[in-house]
Amino acid sequence: MKTSILEFSTFDDITLWTNLKEGDEKSFSMLFERYYADLVSYGNSLSPFHEKVQDCVQDVFTDIWVYRNSLQPSVVVKAYLLSSVRKRIARLHERDHIFRKATNTDSIAFLLEFSVEHELIDDDYATKEKVTYLNKLLNDLPPRQKEALYLRYHQGLTVEQIAEMLDVNYQSASNLLYRGLMALRKEWKGSFSLFLLLSSSSF
Amino acid sequence: MQKRNTYTEIEDFLSDESFQSWILLKIDNDGWEEWTLESRQRAKLVEDARHLLLAMKVPDSKLSTSDIRRALETTWSKIERKENQSNLSENSDSRFLRKCFFTGVAATLVFGLISVWFYKNNFQTDNKVVTYKELIDENSEGLVEQTNNSDKPQIITLSDGSSVLLQPNSKLSYPKIFTGNERKVYLSGEGFFEISKNPKKPFYVYANEIVTKVVGTSFRVKAYSDQPDVEVLVRTGKVKVRSNEMISKSDHEEIVLLPNQALRFVRNDLKFNKITNITEDVELAQSVGNIEQLSFEFSDIPVSQIFQTIEQAYLVDIDYPKDKLKDCHLTTSLSDQPLTEKLKIVCKSIGNNTSFEMNGNQITITSEGCN
Repeated sequence: MKTSILEFSTFDDITLWTNLKEGDEKSFSMLFERYYADLVSYGNSLSPFHEKVQDCVQDVFTDIWVYRNSLQPSVVVKAYLLSSVRKRIARLHERDHIFRKATNTDSIAFLLEFSVEHELIDDDYATKEKVTYLNKLLNDLPPRQKEALYLRYHQGLTVEQIAEMLDVNYQSASNLLYRGLMALRKEWKGSFSLFLLLSSSSF
Repeated sequence: MQKRNTYTEIEDFLSDESFQSWILLKIDNDGWEEWTLESRQRAKLVEDARHLLLAMKVPDSKLSTSDIRRALETTWSKIERKENQSNLSENSDSRFLRKCFFTGVAATLVFGLISVWFYKNNFQTDNKVVTYKELIDENSEGLVEQTNNSDKPQIITLSDGSSVLLQPNSKLSYPKIFTGNERKVYLSGEGFFEISKNPKKPFYVYANEIVTKVVGTSFRVKAYSDQPDVEVLVRTGKVKVRSNEMISKSDHEEIVLLPNQALRFVRNDLKFNKITNITEDVELAQSVGNIEQLSFEFSDIPVSQIFQTIEQAYLVDIDYPKDKLKDCHLTTSLSDQPLTEKLKIVCKSIGNNTSFEMNGNQITITSEGCN
């Protein structure tokens, strides 16, 4: 969804990754420019300390270059990067709350609030209302469901990748997504018909 | 794009990148708009999916391209620092190890040196200064001790005929009669030894830390207990000098001295210094006594002059019948002979009826005249 994706689309991730492993600085820089902003915004959704998130993302890239020889040759680069950032931020939390014994990434909550693409809604008022209502429902979902949705629909990860990232099995990841949407749809179907009823009655 | 024909759930659309870009970026490369309008059922699904996507907006990252470039630069410098750091830590690891190793070696060396020094020091303080008294105590033969407290050298004649000219403030201990296969005497101070020849019974002079072994010869030993050096100076014959077993059992180094060679033993560091030319050594050259300067090579010399030489050499008084022997001349070599041998030779040379008697420094010659 970032324009930068289109800029470098001539090289796919895995080509750049392979070159990077060979020590190609240009490929490293291209991957960095391709994913940096995405990773920062994901990081920001995990940590309230935004000033530290960029540091974390840069550290992830630093390690990738420094330890490029021991990198896995075949990875889904984006999933790898997102996962690395997540771990890095979890570690940041660990360090900051050393007495809380937060040892795994479960402890980090997805803080992001979804918002509404107002500029894109050139529809009628009812649609705007509907979208606003949906947004509210989405934001009321438990953080892990929200994060699963985010990773699925914003970062384009597969269910497997999400399961791996969130350190759960495939079924759990799938459930996270499904339950999120199910709850959403149930809510929205019932209340939307009511909403429609109300709105139609107002006409 | 025929995949989308099988879509039955909102999720199917949500995860479709092409659909996402049509909704969110308004880039419709795949004709979504037309495709949606193909079916009313489809239009409803697409509408729901669209609404959901629109409700799921994620705040755009506020990072500009230049922000990203700056971040990239920062990352490269982080990489540089990290690589240097890991190199450094590798280096410092090995440097640390090396340092440890050398520290260990140094410590071991220091410890070793201290041990050696301590051992030597202790060992040597016990034995370094071998005193005359210790030497005497070692011997169980029942020694006679002669001390020269006068200001003149004193002649001592031993049971084997050897003579020792003992200098003032010196002591000599010796058995009244030499028994066994060795002749051992103990000296403190300075003495000039003239040893009667007997290859079967080597003669040993124990003087402080050194032992001088001779078979028959003349030499001087200077071994004052309060002086730093022990000296042996050889006039005739051959002597062997070694250090006393009491200081070094293993060190059987022997130094052979020939006539007019000398040896100085430095007591502090137990070192032998051989002096091959005694005239070049100021100390030795100055300390040469009468006996060593005098020549005992006589050719057609009046007996009176020979006795005078002996008197000067041994600082003795010789009483002889001057009238009876006034015309007697002798050609003889008395070098390398102890005093008694000298006297014997002289007496024999004068005539059969000539004899001598020795009582301390007093020598009395009885003679009826030369042949």
